[in-house]
Amino acid sequence: MPQLIKIEGERASTVDDLFTFVADEDAVPAAGDVIVTLARLSSEGDALLSSGRRVGVRLQPSDAVEDLAYDLGALAVIELAFAKFRDGRPYSSARVLRGRLNYQGELRAVGDVLREQALHMVRCGFNAFEPADGSTAEQWLAAAHRYRHVYQRAADDREPVFVERAQIASGLGHNRPDEVGV
Amino acid sequence: MKMLTANSLTTGEVVFWDHGQWSVRFADGERFEADEAADAALALAETQPKIAVAAYLIDVEDNDGHWVPIAFRERLRALGPSNTPQHGKQADGDADVEAFQASHSSARSTGRVKLIKR
Amino acid sequence: MYRYDSLDKEMLTDRSNEFRHQAARRLSGEITEDQFKPLRLMNGLYLQLHAYMLRIAIPFGTLNTKQLRRLAWVAKTYDKGYGHFTTRTNLQLHWIKLRDAPDILDALAEVDLHAIQTSGNCIRNITADPYAGATADEIDDPRVWVEAMRQWSTNHPEYSYLPRKFKIAVTAAEKDRAAIRSYDVGLHLRRTRDGELSFEVMVGGGQGRTPYLAKTIREHLPAGRLLSYLDAVLRVYNRQSRRDNIHKQRIKILVATLGVEEFTRQVEAEWALIEGADIDLPDTELARIRAAFMPCAFDPQPASSPVFEAAKADPEFARFTRRNVHPHKVPGYAIVDISLKVPGETPGDASSEQMDLVADLADAYSQGEVRINYTQNLVLPHVKLADVPAIYAALKPAGLATANMDLITDIIACPGLDYCTLANARAIPVAQSIAKRFADPERAEQIGDLKINISGCINACGHHHLGAIGILGVDKKGEEYYQLSLGGSGGDDAELAKILGPAMSGPAIPDAIETLVETYIVHRKDGERFLDTVRRTGLQPFKEAVYASAD
Ligand code: SF4
Repeated sequence: MPQLIKIEGERASTVDDLFTFVADEDAVPAAGDVIVTLARLSSEGDALLSSGRRVGVRLQPSDAVEDLAYDLGALAVIELAFAKFRDGRPYSSARVLRGRLNYQGELRAVGDVLREQALHMVRCGFNAFEPADGSTAEQWLAAAHRYRHVYQRAADDREPVFVERAQIASGLGHNRPDEVGV
Repeated sequence: MKMLTANSLTTGEVVFWDHGQWSVRFADGERFEADEAADAALALAETQPKIAVAAYLIDVEDNDGHWVPIAFRERLRALGPSNTPQHGKQADGDADVEAFQASHSSARSTGRVKLIKR
Repeated sequence: MYRYDSLDKEMLTDRSNEFRHQAARRLSGEITEDQFKPLRLMNGLYLQLHAYMLRIAIPFGTLNTKQLRRLAWVAKTYDKGYGHFTTRTNLQLHWIKLRDAPDILDALAEVDLHAIQTSGNCIRNITADPYAGATADEIDDPRVWVEAMRQWSTNHPEYSYLPRKFKIAVTAAEKDRAAIRSYDVGLHLRRTRDGELSFEVMVGGGQGRTPYLAKTIREHLPAGRLLSYLDAVLRVYNRQSRRDNIHKQRIKILVATLGVEEFTRQVEAEWALIEGADIDLPDTELARIRAAFMPCAFDPQPASSPVFEAAKADPEFARFTRRNVHPHKVPGYAIVDISLKVPGETPGDASSEQMDLVADLADAYSQGEVRINYTQNLVLPHVKLADVPAIYAALKPAGLATANMDLITDIIACPGLDYCTLANARAIPVAQSIAKRFADPERAEQIGDLKINISGCINACGHHHLGAIGILGVDKKGEEYYQLSLGGSGGDDAELAKILGPAMSGPAIPDAIETLVETYIVHRKDGERFLDTVRRTGLQPFKEAVYASAD
């Protein structure tokens, strides 16, 4: 069975992927959890979602996540496909899903998913990964935590540098006020 | 005639294929009469990604008894930048380099068999 | 002057450790060149014709002397003892080895320098007016905002894999010395009638294959909302731009395709939905950055200096003051340009010794500060008028006192085919041959302001679209040819140069420039610059002169 890396806070684990991806040209299996395309979700979504199994969707980089707004509560997982690791659209899709559409469920990165992009993916709200480079859960977690500081707020709960600075200045943060400032 | 060139992975220096290994000297480079042999060398070089980067074939011609690349760009690679004669392979100033510089102005055709952008 | 605090420094350390790790994985074969290339590019490391090239960021074109000395040291230790200053106010080292690169990045990080995002499809190093903080005509120090944007754009989780590179420039002075309309985003800071700081936001400029000047999408953006607004611009770009044709993936193409109204509508709609409070810097952080840019105290000086005036008895010094010395906002002070354009030498190159000398002079006379101008020259921003003669005397023997700012010999040239893998033709020797032809400083000054900009290919790193005379290298059946264009400018009177006629060979260029200059002198009216004459008469007289004499 295919494996997935899941990240929860500071922990990473490898789990079995219980879902089957069904391409548009294939028939949906009679039973079992499935992940379908956006096209199939729009045409067969109601029937699938009421068939007593878990249903997820896989979006391509050009698919608009806003199209999922109506089904969001019923979806068990959303996969965002990286066609090439250089195609950065799924990062924006993830930010909109998490920040604007308030999606709380599992968000997977699939396709050309490489460890070097782990930090960006985690920060944009992905929490499950199908690495194309054979990375282990430990390697993935280490790559995602390579930086002690971040400069922006994102979909994770890390505080940016300007908040850290304010905390240090007010004596709430790490104890090194002499190094702070100009 | 063709030659196979690349840049060394660790140093970036221009290198030329010489019967299964890379040399920093243009004069050492192997010349291929047949396209098949050149392509085979390229394929072999591509199985050694830890040694050289972005290997490609260039056209070379006989210029009064000296082999030179046809493309101006390749002449600059084999010599060094024209604004600093003290830098690059031209700094050694051997007979090949002189022949090269003498035929500098007669470059024709891009010789861009497969232009690599990196 | 702004200094990184412990948090910034830890980020730089983490970054160079990350790169060390990535380079090791490449050398061991764990990752492929395809996977490694974008990683090294995001750390400024290119593979050029002869070696690797490292592009080091000089944020807002400002260096302290410790940093300049470190650059000199890196150039001497790991390269061939010189560096090339670029039109993006970066320093490029042309002879770098991959195996040294992690050590170099460590050495740079020690003095708060880095090569982060100097290449790759991300938000690049952001540039500003080279006279920022010194010029009399600015309403705020634009570097405050550049630093805010540096933080926001560094390692941006959403915008590190954009369709293409993304460049931003800022000015806060009425005179645009940063060519902001040639950028993906150009920002012009002004005060509104009620005294608030506000940005005019221009989007979609760029040079290259399809040059455009940026169009205004918002006249008045409250300055404190800058980052969230940029976030909206970037999100629309990241989501909407094409990704199927590398030549059509800059934001200028998206703006042109959608039309500026529709693009603006989408940005405003996105901005309305963005949680600005999460992105815009709090006032306390802006105040902290602003305090760091507060100029040091300037000793009060008499508005004029007898020493300075007396030194003008030397006609060469007098010329230096006319061309390279500019008014400072504080009376009795001046901004001094240091030319890296000795006729016959490589434009923008400085040796390690020259960098060390400039650092010494900046320590002695310019509050320890040096600037990089996009015209590939250096600047001492805070000089007492009375000290100018001593500075001149020190610069002269080092080949740094050429009095030619904005003159025909102050040529911008990219590295071209001598170094660059993308080039069609060489740029440096063309610049050298023109500058040598016009090396007589008296003649150059009689000709007056005339910007010649040379690029070795359509990527336009040498700003050929923005030259009063632009020269573009093209490949004509394997030979180096050059296409001339006239009438461009990157300043307040920004306009793209227009092509003059068929391309010509390299050796023909100095004569052609000579003809253009003669034609200008025949047609010029009182006080007209070359650019003004070209714009008034159009290209016709110039075209006729150049191509008649070529027949
Ligand atoms: S304009 Fe072309 S040749 Fe010149 S530096 Fe840029 S890419 Fe290279």
